This record gives sequence, C-alpha cells and structure tokens, in this order.
Amino acid sequence: MRRTTRHKVNLGVLYTVLLAVVLLLVLLADWAAVQENFFDPEIAKSLWPEIITVGAKNTILYTLVAFFGGLALAVVLALMRLSPIAPYRWLATAYIEFFRGLPALLVIIASGFAIPIAFGWRPPGGIVGAGLAALIVVASAYIAETLRAGIQAVPKGQTEAARSLGMSGPRTTIFIVLPQALRIVIPPLTNEFVLLIKDTSLLAIIGVAVGERELTTLARDELSLNSNSTPLIAAAVMYLVITLPLTQLVAALERKQQRAR
Amino acid sequence: MTSRITGAQPGARAIEIRDLHKYFGDNEVLKGIDFHVDQGQVVCVIGPSGSGKSTLLRCVNRLEEPTSGTILVEGVNVIDPEVDLDEIRSRIGMVFQSFNLFPHLTVMRNLTIAQNRVLRRGKDEAVEIARRNLEKVGLAGKEDAYPAHLSGGQQQRVAIARALSMDPDMMLFDEPTSSLDPELVGDVLEVMRDLATDGMTMMVVTHEMRFARDVGDKVVFMDGGVIVEEGAPLDVLRNPQHERTKAFLSKVL
Repeated sequence: MRRTTRHKVNLGVLYTVLLAVVLLLVLLADWAAVQENFFDPEIAKSLWPEIITVGAKNTILYTLVAFFGGLALAVVLALMRLSPIAPYRWLATAYIEFFRGLPALLVIIASGFAIPIAFGWRPPGGIVGAGLAALIVVASAYIAETLRAGIQAVPKGQTEAARSLGMSGPRTTIFIVLPQALRIVIPPLTNEFVLLIKDTSLLAIIGVAVGERELTTLARDELSLNSNSTPLIAAAVMYLVITLPLTQLVAALERKQQRAR
Repeated sequence: MTSRITGAQPGARAIEIRDLHKYFGDNEVLKGIDFHVDQGQVVCVIGPSGSGKSTLLRCVNRLEEPTSGTILVEGVNVIDPEVDLDEIRSRIGMVFQSFNLFPHLTVMRNLTIAQNRVLRRGKDEAVEIARRNLEKVGLAGKEDAYPAHLSGGQQQRVAIARALSMDPDMMLFDEPTSSLDPELVGDVLEVMRDLATDGMTMMVVTHEMRFARDVGDKVVFMDGGVIVEEGAPLDVLRNPQHERTKAFLSKVL
C-alpha cells in the first residue's frame, strides 16, 4: 500500500471507532432521567437572574481582585527572587515554594477559619475577604514565577543600554525591563487568569452571605434546595461563557507573539 | 557639540587607562592595558575576536567590572566606589553591536526617556534635541516608528542619535556595524564619519579597516589581552611592525 493510502485507511478506522463510541453512549443513556435531573427548564428559569447578577458578577469580581492583588504582590516577589541580596532571594523562594506546594483549598480554609481562631485576627471584608486574601497569596506565588521567567527573557543588552545612558538600576527596572517582561508573559498570565476564575469556586467551602455567593456556591445552594442538578449545568455554562473567549484570546495572543519574533 | 564639562580642553585626556587587568573566572582577558584617548581624538581598536577589545571598551563605562587598574574618564577614576557612576555614564555615549533600542518604545521615546529621567530635561526641550539628532543621522520623520519596523542600519543610526541626545562628551562604539547587512554598513559609517568631523571624541572597536584608516587618529591592535601595536593608522595598517599584526591584517585586508 502507498503511504498516503495507508494514512487514509488509518484515519477512516479512527473516525469509525469514535462514531461507534458516541452512538453507544447515546443509545445507552436514559434520556428521560438525564433531562429531569440536569436540564429541568423550570429550575433553570428560577435561577434567573441571580445566576448573572449574583453568581457570575461575584465570580468575575473575585477573579479580578485575586488576579490584580496577586499580580501586584508577584512583581515584588519576582524582583526579590532576582535580587542580588541573598536573604530577599531566600524569602521569595520559600514563599513561592510553600504556596505553590499547597492546595489552594487548604490555604482558603486556613485563612477563613484557622487564622481567625489562632490569632483572633479577622481579615477585612469578613469571610469573603479572608478567602480572597488566600486566593491572592496563592495566585501571587504562581504569577511571580511567570514574571521571573519574563524578566529573565528580556535581553541583557536592554539593561546595558539603559545603564549606559545613566539610568539607575530601579529606573531601568521600572521603565525598561518590567514593561517588556509583562509583554512577554501576557499569554501565560491570561492562562493564570483563567485558572483563577475556576479557583474562585473554592470559596464555596467557607460559606458566604447570600449576596456574596459566586457561581459554584450559588449552584450548590440551589442544588440542595431543588434536589436537582440543573443548577450545576447552568453554572458550568456560565463558566464556559466566561472562560472560552479568554482562552481564545490567549491563543490569538500567542499567535501574534510568534509572528512578532 | 558643547561639552557639559567645563575646562575640557582639546588635547587633554578624555580616557586614560593604566595597568588594567580583567579576569573572567580564571581566564585573564586583559593583561595589563595602558591606553588613552585624547579630547577630540578618534581611536580605533582592532584585533581578532577574543582579543579583549570589546571588554576593554566596556570597562570604560564599567559595564564590565575591571579586576584591577585605573580608568580615568576626564580625570575621574570610574573604579572609585564613591564615584557617581550614573552621572559619568550619562556623559559617555555608547553604541552596541546589537543596537539595543528599547523595542516597547517609539523612536522618539527611545531618544527622550533618558533625557527626561536622567538629565531632567523638560518634554519640549528633550523632543527638540531628539529631532535635531534624528535629522543628523538622516532619519527625520521616523519619530513615531517602533524599532522593529526599522532596518538594522536605521536602528543603529537611531541608537547613535539616542546616545547623542544626552550631549555626551565622548562616544564608545562596540563593533557598530558587525551585525549589519553589508549594504547597510555605509550609512552608519557615514554618520560616524560626520561625528568625527564635528570633533567628537570616539573610541571605536571595529573590523572596518577602511574606516580606521580614513577616520582614525590612532589605531590600536590588540591580541590575547594585550596591546601589541599602536600608532597612526597608516603606519599600523600599511607597515605593521609585529608578526601578529601582520598575520591579522593579511587575513582581513
């Protein structure tokens, strides 16, 4: 057989298998039960408009707070990580390794329950504030590593050119290195942002006031209220509505950056 | 070009280097260099790659940290830890082999950012000076372009204009034409020639022997971390005294 012919036959087999599996699943599923449990139109209607005005709104709000809080903290961490002063490097490395090594869920629980009990200190913003503080702390550890890579990817000649013009070290960092580093890490940062959108669902564990619920908390409450999984599906759709355009944006940015090289 | 340093006389030492040693780890790349550039002089440093000529040039504004020795720039020892290095650097223009323009800034911003941040010049004054220097390098009208949209030769001329916008007392050129396509080299050399004619003090590490011969006041040949031979361009290039100089020149001429 010629190579192209064999290739076509192989592809044909693969498509047939895929089709067979899908057909089998469709035939085996109990569609009435599926619809009753996951796609109840009455329940879906009852979620409106809270799923947008409360759930989606808070998910986006919490993501933005966690991301930009984390980014600000990450700039400091990344610069400490690259500092010529060893103790700064150690501190930043310890912080980053510690919080990257823990599940975000544990940090949220610690921030929401353990720290207030142990130290009698309550973060501003109540339990949501505590959860967001935890998300900021965890996000900053990841973003700091991304930023460090970005800073190191800025050619050394850029620093040399700036210094040879008489610009001081800090000025060179602020006006020459960081702007270029941020540009380089926009795609991985957007990725970080998408991960954070989903991580806000972990706030469901600490239990927040009705108006402060994000998508997952809201869906879980509605799930137990109705003994029906439709709210979960609705929340899933909302997450995809938010995340899909963003992941497409990342892909577009990466293509653009490839071309610019 | 008016010097910002008062009392800089033509003929006085702009750069004076005494017994300069530089190690990279165990590797001694500069083995006791004595070297000087007078005000208004154009000194070309030639030699095979790895001879230490770029390292020597980069020691002048301490982009490279010397191991020992003395480097006087207009009489001030740049190795003195008390010295204000940023202030000294702002008076020494530097042009790199790889241009090193700031890619995230427009041409105009490349030329004004250090004027604003280092010399504390106002926006209008900085823009005015930048325009004048862009014109000087033949790139008036490119103010709003980004470096990526310029050819290599244009980028290097912008880099020269960026250095000139600081009104430097002297210019260092580190193989300014080595990464250019051959047909773009001429424009950059032309700009450098004009600078020399204007009386700019220049130290040029280069492989352009014709430039060294026509524009240089002095040619210095380095090999293996030492200065092997120096003198008037025609003497060194036409009538080299040392075997190593002869061997090198026979390869490049």
